Amino acid sequence: MNHENHSGSLYQGLVIFVILAFLTAVEYFIAITNASVLLLSIVAFIKVGLVMYYYMHVYKLAQEDDEHDHHSYAWKLATNRLGLWLFLLSDSFVFGGLFISRFNLLGFTRPPLNQFLGLIVTTVLLISSFFMNRGETQMARGDRKGFMLSTAITFLLGLGFLVGVVFIEWPNAAAEGLTVSGSAAGGIFYMMTGMHAFHVLTGLIFLVIILRNTARGHYSAEKHWAVEAAAVYWHFIDVVWIFFYPALYLIGKLM
Amino acid sequence: MNRSPGSFSRAVLFLFVGLLAGLGLGILLHTLTSGVFNATYFADIPSWMLGFLLGTLGFFYGLLGYFGVVRGLIFQVLGTLLGAGLVSAVRALLKTSFFDLATFGLTEPAWVFGGLVGAVAFLAGVGALSDWWKWARGEETHDHHEDIPGWRKYFGVSLDHKVIGIQYTFTSLLLLSVGGLFALIFRTELAKSGLDIISLNFYNTLMSLHGMVMIVSILVGIAGVINYLVPLLIGAQDMAFPRLNAFSYWVAVPAAVLLLASLGLGGFDTGWTGYPPLASRAPVGIQMFYLGVWVAGWSSILGALNLIVTVLRMRAKGMTAFRMPIFVWASLATSIISLTATQLIGLSFQMSMFQRLFGMPFFDAAKGGNPVLFQHLFWFYSHPAVYVFVLPGLGIISELLPVFVRKPLFGYRWVALSSIGIALVGFLVWAHHMFTSGMNEYLRVPFMYSTLLVAVPTGVKFFSWVATLYKGKITTPVPMLFVLGGIVVFLMGGLSGPPNATVSTDLHLHDTYFIVGHFHDTMFGGYIFPFFAALYYWFPKATGKRLNETLGKWHFWLMTPSFLILTLFMMRVGLLGMRRRIADYDPALGFDPWHLAMTIAAFGIALAVLIFFYNIYKTLKSDQMATGNIWNSRSPEWQVPSPMPAHNYDHEFEVVGEPYDYGLPGSTYVKM
Amino acid sequence: MQNMRHYVIMAVLVVVVAVLTYSGLNSLGLMPVAASAQALPIDWLFDLQVKAMAFFFAVVIVPLAYSLIVFRRRDGDTSEGEHIEGNTPLELTWTAIPLVIVIAMGYIGASNLAQIRAVDPQAAQIKVTGFQWGWRFEYPQGFTSNTLYLPADQQVVLQMESLDVLHSFWVPEFRLKQDLVPGRITEYRITPTRVGDYKVRCAEICGTSHAYMEAPVKVVSRADYDIWVADQTAQAQAAAAASAGQPDAGRGRTLYEESGCKACHSLDGSKGVGPTWKGLFEESVALADGTSVTADEAYLIESIKMPGAKTVEGYPPNAMPSFTYLKDGQVADLVAFIKTLK
Ligand code: HEA
Ligand code: HEA
Ligand code: HEC
Ligand code: CUA
Ligand SMILES: [Cu+2]
Repeated sequence: MNHENHSGSLYQGLVIFVILAFLTAVEYFIAITNASVLLLSIVAFIKVGLVMYYYMHVYKLAQEDDEHDHHSYAWKLATNRLGLWLFLLSDSFVFGGLFISRFNLLGFTRPPLNQFLGLIVTTVLLISSFFMNRGETQMARGDRKGFMLSTAITFLLGLGFLVGVVFIEWPNAAAEGLTVSGSAAGGIFYMMTGMHAFHVLTGLIFLVIILRNTARGHYSAEKHWAVEAAAVYWHFIDVVWIFFYPALYLIGKLM
Repeated sequence: MNRSPGSFSRAVLFLFVGLLAGLGLGILLHTLTSGVFNATYFADIPSWMLGFLLGTLGFFYGLLGYFGVVRGLIFQVLGTLLGAGLVSAVRALLKTSFFDLATFGLTEPAWVFGGLVGAVAFLAGVGALSDWWKWARGEETHDHHEDIPGWRKYFGVSLDHKVIGIQYTFTSLLLLSVGGLFALIFRTELAKSGLDIISLNFYNTLMSLHGMVMIVSILVGIAGVINYLVPLLIGAQDMAFPRLNAFSYWVAVPAAVLLLASLGLGGFDTGWTGYPPLASRAPVGIQMFYLGVWVAGWSSILGALNLIVTVLRMRAKGMTAFRMPIFVWASLATSIISLTATQLIGLSFQMSMFQRLFGMPFFDAAKGGNPVLFQHLFWFYSHPAVYVFVLPGLGIISELLPVFVRKPLFGYRWVALSSIGIALVGFLVWAHHMFTSGMNEYLRVPFMYSTLLVAVPTGVKFFSWVATLYKGKITTPVPMLFVLGGIVVFLMGGLSGPPNATVSTDLHLHDTYFIVGHFHDTMFGGYIFPFFAALYYWFPKATGKRLNETLGKWHFWLMTPSFLILTLFMMRVGLLGMRRRIADYDPALGFDPWHLAMTIAAFGIALAVLIFFYNIYKTLKSDQMATGNIWNSRSPEWQVPSPMPAHNYDHEFEVVGEPYDYGLPGSTYVKM
Repeated sequence: MQNMRHYVIMAVLVVVVAVLTYSGLNSLGLMPVAASAQALPIDWLFDLQVKAMAFFFAVVIVPLAYSLIVFRRRDGDTSEGEHIEGNTPLELTWTAIPLVIVIAMGYIGASNLAQIRAVDPQAAQIKVTGFQWGWRFEYPQGFTSNTLYLPADQQVVLQMESLDVLHSFWVPEFRLKQDLVPGRITEYRITPTRVGDYKVRCAEICGTSHAYMEAPVKVVSRADYDIWVADQTAQAQAAAAASAGQPDAGRGRTLYEESGCKACHSLDGSKGVGPTWKGLFEESVALADGTSVTADEAYLIESIKMPGAKTVEGYPPNAMPSFTYLKDGQVADLVAFIKTLK
């Protein structure tokens, strides 16, 4: 981990966030103008690539560790990292399955959803990723106070996302006639957002755990695997939504 | 607290007490809810299930006291009641029917939620979660748990991969017996045409559970062999994540309980594939089936994750990719599938569960759903899964052949890479189970090609095995017999694959006993035979005692011909028009004598398995030790005395040669 | 030279074993009689596959058994086997040859499939309805039947529909099989060639009585077929004319037996998949939602035409298929029949 370059990494986080926000706007624009599935997928892939590389530090997996002592922290850290990424790989198959089911069931049509709300919650989730990244770099620098603040903001934004989807979007969609049991479209919409919301919920729980443990003085700049894991998991939730948002809100003719 | 509080005789006594109590309780409840007593309640399946549950509990309690699995099971029962009660209470608050027994606690959502809470409660009760709970609270845990000495450690949470491996293996044998017992019951029904001993629905339930219990038994058995062996083979102290490892094992236990609980809740009649829309109309038992498989899936996924990390990060010095024992390659290939594809069976079952629970109409055509979608999701896992079953088995064959032939494994790299090849191509073939399903017609041809392609890497394995045998110095002790039996039987199963893969012939073969014959051959040849080979081969490593050869030969020479009769006759009647999954067949077809022979053969197999159990019992009782390198193997685990020391190798070994250089004077594989 | 001798012996044995395996299997008569034009290419392909199976079986089994016998360890011999690590050209060969065979098999398989799917624009159309647990065939002339009559040597296309769950249409002698999927119409194209009696057997598990979901299939000559069609058309017209007048319990009983009601409803009071019809009329029926209704004529008609509307207590909802094809007159006949069951 690069300890010297901390202000650099904060700056980087900000730049990435701005690009992500810009791409989201582009995405929305594409959707309202020509709804090209190809363009939308390209944008989604670029966004996911940025998040994976700069926020989730996927490159760290490839970092050679010449540590052969299996009891050392460095060795365990690299091992844990590999485990976490494999878990995410596994988990992404669930979301992949849901994604494919959505296209199998609905084809190129989309359910009637509140576009404005969709854009808001997406933005909220993106901002939360920015703060998560900020928190993690602060912890790596030993700035525990800053970490607590950033993580608390992340938590609140995450909570906001959850409320937005579950307590605003759901009743809203139901009122539009998109009910759980009314049609396959309703079923898959609630299933996709529900599974995602479940992951957000677990992510929030992890955030609470790391916040609480930081408050009790547990992590340090050198040893904070739990923080890194929670952050990577949080960004993963973001990555999933980057695909789900266009799939649910943008792609296809309104049904 | 480690004083052994029980004894075997007490266990048996408690078994019967529990059985009677459960049965009595069931009949009492039945009488209370229906208002009248009826003598037929004695034949009531739910009451018997309750009896079996309490009997098992009693047995383990008698054996162990309030410890490990006993605490887990008690927690599971309480958790289930708690979860079910919670749902009922919420429903009661929303509705009015609080005191109505029929809705209180016995509704479908209550059972499903209860089942889930019960499974988690089991894990909490057995103690598989305690360390993680401490981590979440920021507390430290010990890195090395010392196990209780003696056999009791096998019934509680242990972090030692060897203990976990044995736990898995034992569970697998138990499930094999249960699944086999189901097969024996429904085979007896099939012995002649007409419906004689069981009802249609009970047949369907038994048949479906037989399929899934056997498959779970395989998954658990594979995990057992992998867990025990891989760290030893690569020179690791343990798996990469010992707690996750224990969790993966223990989560399979409540899963098995859930699966069997479906019997008590009306069963289900869909086959192991659980296709909706039939599943949407099946009794509540289907939900326990789905839930059980879903939970068992986590065991598979997390176990695979652990294995991949272990192999990638914990190999001994000098063990480059192409110096890994072949079994490690096979485990890796298997784990790639388990890690990823398993999620899809979980998802498909979850969606079908939700369709029943919340009315989400994913697979309901009337509301825009698509029944065929389920089949795609299901087979996206369940086809690759069949390679999960065989790859470790084929790995065992490749691992043992050189030892008994005293020659290097022919074309090591090709054999190693063919495992990966099979695993990867296996991802692209799933729709060959759906040629008649009404899916897009044009898709059938590409799936035919991809399926046929699997024959190529599988062929590489066969030819390499044969070439390994050529010019060897072959001996045939029991493990080798099972290896050879496995090769022959799997060959028959494999060769019956391409006719199914070719669309036009499959239109005739699909859903017939030809398919049933095909997959019993592949699964027996690719898993059961190698599994037994592994048990005979590594039993001395685990226990320091060698299984009796004579009994082993009886086991082999009884099982193999019986099995060949069973499956060849299956294929025969299948071609002539015998459908799968039928409790009764048209006597006009003239299948009666064939089915009678199959049933007798099935009992032959069962007898052989009983001989095997007797062999284990007898060997454990005897005090003849076999602590040395009895097979004269080059593999590292045989270079240290048996049974394996608690912390594996005292010093890390270094790999200095090729794994299978038999016949090359002076070469060694590992330097201790 | 030593090697050469082994190779020659094994090669000869492979040929012998392959031929013996194939002719042994073949002499058993592997397939049931072929009764359709489509069965011929399928049997031809299967035969080819049996040949390939026999060959590869021999290729693996012969050297295996040969090595086991010739290279077994003799008593007292403690030497090791020969140190042969592998042989790349050989590995390439036994990768390439199966690969070629497999591609060829795929190609043959695809053209075979095209052959059996060949469309005759003149094909007659028959509507097939599958339900738990019965079959019903609707002819373009406007009558329905429980036996599938087919004219020999003419292509027919069955338009298949399921009322409830998956089923699968299979006549072993025709070789083909096709699932019936709720919510869509699947197609089964066949050219029967051999006059005789067969059975369609449901090949996809569809619940309790899946084993018994069979119906007779009769392939008859063109002339006989035309006679049968004319006869059925006349009968159907007569029945329609009659039921337009008075509902008739006798016809109701026939419908009960032939439309599949029998599979679920008993007449003797015993509980089946559905409630018994004995004493049903004018009785009070408890419903699943806690209310109850009197089983009058309107209720019975509703129960038959829209089974989802009210669910009887103790039975799963949506268990009964909706028999949309029953005409009003036929429903009236059924109700008349139920009324007689005191
Ligand atoms: C361990 C499990 C296992 C294995 C390894 C296999 C291996 C294969 N299976 Fe099987 N299969 C099952 C378990 C397995 N199967 C199960 C459980 C079902 C039923 C599920 C259900 O419906 O309940 C099933 C069903 C099934 C079907 C669906 C049938 C239907 O329902 O209509 C098909 C269709 O393509 C198929 C094909 C194959 C093929 C081509 C292989 C190939 O991998 C075989 C490859 C091996 C060889 C071919 C032999 C060795 C090769 C050579 C000697 C080289 C030369 C050979 C040639 C060139 C041909 N299988
Ligand atoms: C590894 C998997 C596996 C194994 C080992 C077996 C083993 C056996 N199977 Fe099974 N089978 C399947 C997997 C397996 N099966 C699957 C997946 C299906 C498809 C289900 C579906 O269609 O949905 C199936 C379906 C299936 C059918 C078709 C049912 C139908 O379509 O209607 C039949 C019919 O004969 C059958 C028979 C047998 C028999 C006789 C054995 C015998 O080998 C069993 C021998 C007996 C034993 C191994 C037990 C021995 C032990 C004891 C007797 C001790 C008992 C004591 C105690 C409990 C303490 N199996
Ligand atoms: C697959 C099984 C099945 C078949 C086939 C079936 N039914 Fe039913 N039927 C049921 C079930 C289950 C119920 C009770 C649940 C309900 O009301 O939906 C029922 C209820 C009824 C009722 C109301 C009975 C009562 O006790 O109130 C009538 C009338 C009826 N069916 C008529 C028919 C007729 C006529 C046919 C044939 C043309 C038929 N059924 C075929 C399963 C079946
Ligand atoms: Cu219809 Cu089986
Ligand atoms: Cu398959």
